[in-house]
Amino acid sequence: MGESIISINNLSKSFGDHEVLRKIDIEVKKGEVICIVGSSGSGKSTLLRCINKLERQTSGQIMFNGREIRDVQKEINHYRSKVGMVFQSFNLFNNMTVLENCMLCTRRVLHLSKNEAFDRAITHLKEVGMAPFINARPSQLSGGQKQRVAIARSLCMNPDVLLFDEPTSALDPEMVGEVLNVMKNLATTGLTMIIVTHEMAFARDVSTRTIFMDRGYVAEDAAPSELFTNPKNPRTREFLSRYLAG
Amino acid sequence: MFQIDNPSNSFEWMIFLVKKYSNMFIQGTWLTLYIAVIGTILGFVLGYVIGIIQDVKISEGDGIVKKTLIRLLKTIAAVYVEVFRDTPMIVQAMIIYYGIRQMGVNMSPVFAGIFVTLLNTGAYMAETVRAGIGSIEIGQREGAWAMGMSPMKTMFYVVLPQAFKNIVPEMANTFLTNLKMTSVLNVIAVQELFMAAKTVGGNYYKYFEAYLVIAVIYFVLCFAFNKVFNLIEKKMSGKSDYVLAVEYMDNQ
Repeated sequence: MGESIISINNLSKSFGDHEVLRKIDIEVKKGEVICIVGSSGSGKSTLLRCINKLERQTSGQIMFNGREIRDVQKEINHYRSKVGMVFQSFNLFNNMTVLENCMLCTRRVLHLSKNEAFDRAITHLKEVGMAPFINARPSQLSGGQKQRVAIARSLCMNPDVLLFDEPTSALDPEMVGEVLNVMKNLATTGLTMIIVTHEMAFARDVSTRTIFMDRGYVAEDAAPSELFTNPKNPRTREFLSRYLAG
Repeated sequence: MFQIDNPSNSFEWMIFLVKKYSNMFIQGTWLTLYIAVIGTILGFVLGYVIGIIQDVKISEGDGIVKKTLIRLLKTIAAVYVEVFRDTPMIVQAMIIYYGIRQMGVNMSPVFAGIFVTLLNTGAYMAETVRAGIGSIEIGQREGAWAMGMSPMKTMFYVVLPQAFKNIVPEMANTFLTNLKMTSVLNVIAVQELFMAAKTVGGNYYKYFEAYLVIAVIYFVLCFAFNKVFNLIEKKMSGKSDYVLAVEYMDNQ
């Protein structure tokens, strides 16, 4: 594994009196595929949203390539163009076709030419098997198709890191597989990924590192082989036993 | 046939008045349309600007100058919207027309009429735009933000096109309202339709017939515009199917 790309230092986040994240420290190295698991309300999604600066942390800092990302809109925009995010609810732009979805940000943020943006869009849409659907609108696609387009759209930015916020939670079981397969393939390309998921088998098989979160803390942070077979934290054990039993 | 030159019933009087004063009615119709169209379009622009200003969020990282400027703009916008929504247009017309005259600026009634219409429309439109923007789920913006789009670009490329589609019916509504509301501008001596009817009716003391004539004109105008707007709405709802790009079907 290469050098550190994102480091989260002493990060805390509260909504009013409610502490959602407590003193999180995570170091993400280039090429790592990190799965974050834990029960609902443990702060996984909030952590991911803080990493992408969609939520402002209450304290602590987020470093990207050794530099702190301050709360200045320009810095945030630049940072986000390198750290993509895939959402549970897809968030494809409803007023655009699949192709336009994949070209908007490469055109307007990276200022690529129309041809370059088109080529990139097609390349990544092919990668997720959605190229034939370039003329479709989001409302005409199934959930799994939407999520694959959303992944392609993020890839078009050539991100250094890609964040996934429960990418399969809104999908029915038949569609979960197609999205996980795309993600599995991505993991082999060396792309740095941070994935919040409830898919334990996926976390076990694909991640290079698994983080278990509990009540806003990082309860355990270990290789999946370690975390899934020999969890140290009693909460991890409890959580996993419930999952593996069910 | 009807006794057009010597009218004996209301219907014949209407035809008589239309024939005799066709110029006044045509000019009144033209002026009504002119004020309504220009006032509404400018009002829409103002409404969008105000609506967007009201939606701007102040972020913690902004500099003090930017923060102050945004707060100031938001306050001005809020006061403007409140004042114009809470007073009648007829009163606004009087205050603006006579107020500006008293300041020594010579303003034609038509110009004042357009000005009042645009300010009134802007206030209502600002609320409509604000609601329209609010109706677009936050995920649409987050999707764009997460790829480095600035909040303003996100607004223009992602949020507004969707909000616009949602508020087109309300915009059509506003235009039709304005078309009819121009009638109050007769109080500042704009020679629009209402003024035409008032004048024409007074000449023969045939108010009922004169106003019936303009009622028909208002109705026909609004009816026609309504049909046009319905067509536009249908056009905008878009196609329900799409073409598969078969050239990319292989290698799947």
